[in-house]
Order: sequence, then C-alpha cells, then structure tokens
Amino acid sequence: MRTPFLHKLLFNLFTWSLVLLVTFPLAWMIITSLKPQTELFRIPPTWWPETITFEHYWRLLTETPFLTYFRNSVVLATSTTIFVVVLGTIGAYSLVRFSYRGRETLATLVLFTYLLPSVVLIIPLYLMMVELGLSNTLTSLILAHTTFALPYALWLLRSFMEGVPEDLESAALVDGATRMGAFRDVILPQLLPGIISTALFTFILSWNEYLYALVLVNSESVRPLTTGVMSMLITAFNIEWSLLMAASVMMSVPLIIVFAFLQSYLTRGFGAGGVKG
Amino acid sequence: MAEVELRDVRKEFGSFTALESLDISINAGEFVALLGPSGCGKSTTLRMLAGLDFPTSGEISIGGRVVNDVAPGKRDIAMVFQSYALYPHMTVAENIAYPLKKRGMAKTARAEAVQKAAALLQLEPLLNRKPKQLSGGQQQRVALGRALVREPKVFLLDEPLSNLDAKLRAYMRAEIIELHQRIGKTMVYVTHDQLEAMTMADRIAVMHEGRLQQFDTPDGVYNRPANRFVAGFIGTPSMNQLEVTVSGAEAVIEGHRMPLDRSRYVAALADGPAMLGVRPENILLDGGPLPGTVRLIEHTGHEQIVTIEIPGDYRLLARAPANRRLSHGQEIGIGFEPEAIHLFEAGENGTRLNTDADAEVIPMTMRQGGKGEDQRP
Repeated sequence: MRTPFLHKLLFNLFTWSLVLLVTFPLAWMIITSLKPQTELFRIPPTWWPETITFEHYWRLLTETPFLTYFRNSVVLATSTTIFVVVLGTIGAYSLVRFSYRGRETLATLVLFTYLLPSVVLIIPLYLMMVELGLSNTLTSLILAHTTFALPYALWLLRSFMEGVPEDLESAALVDGATRMGAFRDVILPQLLPGIISTALFTFILSWNEYLYALVLVNSESVRPLTTGVMSMLITAFNIEWSLLMAASVMMSVPLIIVFAFLQSYLTRGFGAGGVKG
Repeated sequence: MAEVELRDVRKEFGSFTALESLDISINAGEFVALLGPSGCGKSTTLRMLAGLDFPTSGEISIGGRVVNDVAPGKRDIAMVFQSYALYPHMTVAENIAYPLKKRGMAKTARAEAVQKAAALLQLEPLLNRKPKQLSGGQQQRVALGRALVREPKVFLLDEPLSNLDAKLRAYMRAEIIELHQRIGKTMVYVTHDQLEAMTMADRIAVMHEGRLQQFDTPDGVYNRPANRFVAGFIGTPSMNQLEVTVSGAEAVIEGHRMPLDRSRYVAALADGPAMLGVRPENILLDGGPLPGTVRLIEHTGHEQIVTIEIPGDYRLLARAPANRRLSHGQEIGIGFEPEAIHLFEAGENGTRLNTDADAEVIPMTMRQGGKGEDQRP
C-alpha cells in the first residue's frame, strides 16, 4: 500500500511543480500589471496587490500607439494564416494526390528553410523586399512569415491529407462532382482538424515573431506588437515595467483564449505530424 | 447491343503493364464478375470503367458511347467501393442524396428519391445517422443506396463484401443478387472470391497478370476451364493437376496407365507430355489403376477431403462421402471419371485440349456442395 501512495505523491509533486513553473511568470505578469507604480519595487514584494489599478491599461490604450500595433499584429497574423492555410492545403493536396516527377524531392526541399538559421535568411530577404518595393510594409512581413510557416504547414497538412481516403474523392467524382467540387464537399470537411491546427500554429508563430519584424519594418505605423511594444517601453535608460506587463497581458490574452478553445485540434495536429512526419 | 464494351484496352503504370489488351463486351442487364487474384488488373479495369483511371490505349464504351474522355460523373455509372467511401460528415440521407444534388435535382424530388431508395434497402430508420454510427452491413447498404438512387445504366462494384464477416457476407450476397433481379441493371462486380463470382454472376471474366483468361458462365469456367490457371483458380479445393505422358488412348503417370477417351479431346492432341487435370469430386477411390496412400483425412461434416499420395510425389485431393470409411495410411487404388478428365498443354499456363462434349456431365449440385468457403473458420 505504501509504495503506490508514495509513488502518487511524488508524481503529483512533480506535476504540480511543473505547472507552477509554467504558470508563475504568467501570474506574475498579470499581478504586476495591476499594481500601482509605487508598489512595484517594494521589498519584500507584495504577492497580492494592495490596491488594484487599471491605469497602466488605460495609459497604454489612450496615450500610446498600442492599438496601432495591435491592429498591425492582427492584420499580419491573420493574413499570414490565410496565406499559409490556402497555399498549404493546395500544396498538400498536390503532394498527396498527384504523381509527378520530383514530388518527394520537392516536399523535402521545402524543409530546407529550417536548416538555415533565420538570421542568415533575413538580409537576403530584406534586400529582396527592397527590390520589390515592399520594404517597410506589412506585406513584406506577411511574405516573410509565410516563408517560414509554410513548410511546416505543408508537412502538417500533408499528413492530414494522407489520412483522407482517396476513395472518398473518387466516390464524389463518380457521384458527379468536379475535382474542385469534390475537394470542397468531401476533402475540406475531412481536413478541417488539420486546417484548424495549421491555422493556429501559423497564427501563434506570426503573432509572436520578433526578429523579422525588427529587421524588415521600422516605422511606427507598420510595427506589430512584438517590436512596437519593445521599442516603445524599453529604452536604454528606463524600462516601464508596469506598462510592459499590461501590454504583455493584452498581447497574450487573445492567444490564450483562442488556444483554450482550439487546443484539442492543435494537439491532434502535433500527433499527426509526429506519427507521419 | 453491348452495354459496356472494352476494346483492346491497355493500361501501363510507368514500365509496369497492369492490363494487356483487354476485350470484354457486357450485355445490358447482365451481371458480370471480374475475378482474379490481387494484382490481376481487375480493379484497374473497374476504375477505368468508372473514369478514375485512364487507359493507355484502347476504347471504352458505355451504352454505345465512347467514354474515354468523359468525366466519371457524366458516364451514367454508379460505383460501390470496397471501403464504402461514405462521406463521414454527412448523414445517411445526405450521403444518398449527394449524387442527385450534384445533378441539380430539386430538394423535394431529392427527398422523394432518397425515401424510395431507403425503402428498398430498409434504411428508413437510419436516415439521420452518420456513417460512423452504423454497422458494416448498414454502411454497405447505404453505399448501395447511394449508387441506386440515380438509376444509372451501369453499376460498378469493387469488392463490396470483402470487409464484412462471413455471415453478413453471405446475407449481403443474397441481397445483391435479389437487387439485381429486381432492378435488372447491368452490374460489373470485382472480386477475388470465386464463391461470390460463381454464385452471383451471369458471366465471369477470370483475369490473371493483366490478361483475360476466360470470359464465360460460371458453368463454363468450372467445367470447361480455358487453361491451367482457370482450372486451378476456380474450385475449392482446386483441381488436381498432374504431369502425364499421352500415349495412344492412355495417359501415363509414372508408369501407371490411365485410360483416355481420345474422342473427347482436340484432334491436335499428340502423343507426348501434357497436364492432366481432375477435380476432387471426380476421383474414384474404389479400385483404379493408380496406387495411392491416404495421408490426410479432413472431415467437413457432410463430406471428407482426402489427401492421397501417389507415385511421383504428387498429392491428390479427393472428395469422399462422409460415411466412407477411410483410415490414415490406407493403400487404395485410384481412378478418374473418364468423362471428367481435362487435358492441358504442358507448360506454364497450357490451354485446354478437351472438346466441349463433356459440358453437361458434372451436375451443379455437386459443385455447390463443395464450395462452402463461408463455413471455414
């Protein structure tokens, strides 16, 4: 009787310390964002704020370009996601359903992007954007994010696509559907979990991306949240901790909400990728 | 006029030839089985009929119209897949209605047609379920319903029963036969199960390695197999085949002489090596010119299958009535019913040398009794 109990106890301790480890920074972020400036650096620190204030949030929304950054981030992440999902779905369909010379090679080559550190790719990419007349635009960031999200999305969707039986499509064709019709009526509904998990993955990637945003874009009006908040609140002389924490909360909340709802799809997606990829 | 016709159809996948010059002509209302081991080209043939694969050369016509370049949905065919291929996200009713919807039929007419098909297949209580909530047999019926509902010229069925258990398979087999009799439509049925082909089809196209071996009635492929492959493939247990030397009115097996009625074989049959084929039910176990030793006795209840070793290291399978007393190691003299001896050219897949005078000798009842595949564990 004793061993299982001890076993259970240790297991629980371990799990909960992991949970604590992950959630503490989040909790601290929220708590800090609600403390008044005066309480922020008190020693010993207060665990629960003595007075709760929303002034940092208010200041962020009214006195800073936070909303512009937020809008940019939404546009950026959404466009990237749409781009990647559309291209990835069509590409995966081609890789799975059609047979042509060099199909496998193509699929593998796509992954080459991940062999190079992104720092190496940034400068050429930047020069290309300048050449295209897209420097310092959101479009350039959308394209850049697409280049590094697409390969993974393609592989993820490919393994989902392989799970859709070819007979279903054949049946739809025999039943009178066109190829596009069969794709829309039969394949897309089957692919939905894959599409959702790919979309989620891409959205998070694009939302959190920092390096490309830092290099490719440098004017206030097109900065996304990541670089915008950093440049606005962190200077060589001063870090506005409470504002930074409030901004961080507002940056993470949309993700956390979306994630909470769609999490089961995402984990399923990782599973599919893990087995086949 | 032929409803479905394949003329000199050839199919290559890269350097692999899946089908070599196939010529088949199927009459309206006929039930034709494409039978053969896996990889024989039967499924490829069906997929080409459906328009899901394209012939490398040759011509396919359905209802008198060449359909080589016609999309699957416009060929006036319906297909039932081995996996049933029911759309998982649609209900049974939506599944059955889908082909009608794609043809632009109005909603009320659609519902009516679905009701009719559902009634025919006893699917009414299931119409609002999703395929996942159905048993294998029910899914099978939905797949049939989806094919039926458009009233196509030709039904294509790709091993539709192979995913069912033995009992349900026998039941669905009977249902499909009945369905065919009721609607009288042309059906092309792919199977590797000779029992299905024999019991269901009006004619059977036996295929092997991309070639049509024989296209004949069940009676024909059983009693007049065109070559050694068909002889060995049709029938359970399969036909015994022995190397013999034909010498005058005798076939010589390792020095033992078996009388032959030369008039039953083609005039071109020369003295020399040949293959002799005899079905288990045509082996006589009560005194014959060939000495044998009983090696194995398998009781199936209503009969027994006896393995007999004969000179030349051959093992013959013979059918004996259940009440026949035999014991292991027993020495017996073996003979063959003279009118049931098949001769084939020597060699890999020698053609049959009989004239067809013996067509009526082997009664159907005997065949049916012997092929109880479904009773096997």
